[in-house]
Amino acid sequence: MSILGSTTDSKAAAPALSEVRRGLNASLPMLLGIIPYGLLLGAQASKKGFSIVEVPLLTGLNFAGGSEFAAIQLWTSPPHIVLIAAITFLVNSRHLLMGAALAPYLAGLPKRLVFPALFWMCDESWALGLADARLRSAERARQPFSIPYYFSLALSLYFCWVACTTAGAALGPSIGDVRTFGFDMAFPAVFLVLLRGMWRGPRAALPWLVSLVVAGGTRLLVPGAWYVPAGALSGLAAAWLFAERSR
Amino acid sequence: MIHPLTLVAILLMAAVTYSTRVIGYVGLRNRALSPRAKVVMEAAPGCVLISVIAPSFVADRPADLIALAITVAAAARFSMLPTVLIGMVSAALLRLFIP
Repeated sequence: MSILGSTTDSKAAAPALSEVRRGLNASLPMLLGIIPYGLLLGAQASKKGFSIVEVPLLTGLNFAGGSEFAAIQLWTSPPHIVLIAAITFLVNSRHLLMGAALAPYLAGLPKRLVFPALFWMCDESWALGLADARLRSAERARQPFSIPYYFSLALSLYFCWVACTTAGAALGPSIGDVRTFGFDMAFPAVFLVLLRGMWRGPRAALPWLVSLVVAGGTRLLVPGAWYVPAGALSGLAAAWLFAERSR
Repeated sequence: MIHPLTLVAILLMAAVTYSTRVIGYVGLRNRALSPRAKVVMEAAPGCVLISVIAPSFVADRPADLIALAITVAAAARFSMLPTVLIGMVSAALLRLFIP
């Protein structure tokens, strides 16, 4: 159990266990959003000729859904490897910002925990881990970033993603449309609740509005995944400009 | 079962993705940020999240946009699970009634 940072001392193990439970509970509503997309990705990959071994290899080693959908979309036989690597970087470039935002809270932790923790950093695990670290930091916890909470949350999402994509590859084309029963709305719903948790008043949210407008416009005008970096970077630029004015 | 070129593509994707995950941390680990940079970094998480879901805000079906508005209102009040359920149910129902 070294990954949880607990010792053989049962007094130390008890709070770690409650942190694990807290992390698993936090992950449960997110699984509703992940399951249909996992099945869909697996089915699309099998249509493109991925075997049932290759699908979990992709989703287990890469573990970044957006880039996996993009790669499958662009997949040819043989694959255009440089194009796929470039698109993967483009779609996942938001991780650069996410890791930077998390960096101050990871500062006190040993690298042997931080580097695995970053492997499992996806949108959901990052947002929940960051929100939790900010809360604990405000409460002056000795270590704001809770390793057992984060890992149990992130691993729950991870195993669900790998299992569902594999199941999707096995079931193949019999998978229907994620839009049936409104499953596709689970994804924005999760993100909106995460955003509410980051709300610091309308003024602080002005850069978000800039991001939304630019990302939405880019989505309508430019094909591909450019809307993510375009929206994120314009929001940052807005935050930079607003910070200057308010001084 | 595993095609060699597929394996190369997957390993390259995994390496690229992991590098995006560690670069932000490694780059800022031992650096003190200016107050202005701190303001920018505090805005960054929200900017990333809202950009990822921006396509929902420019959906072309009215039913999807109304369902999204309901989901936004739900997210302002409720916790994760009720919000997700309200979002899914309202999208499913509205699509039935508004073609």
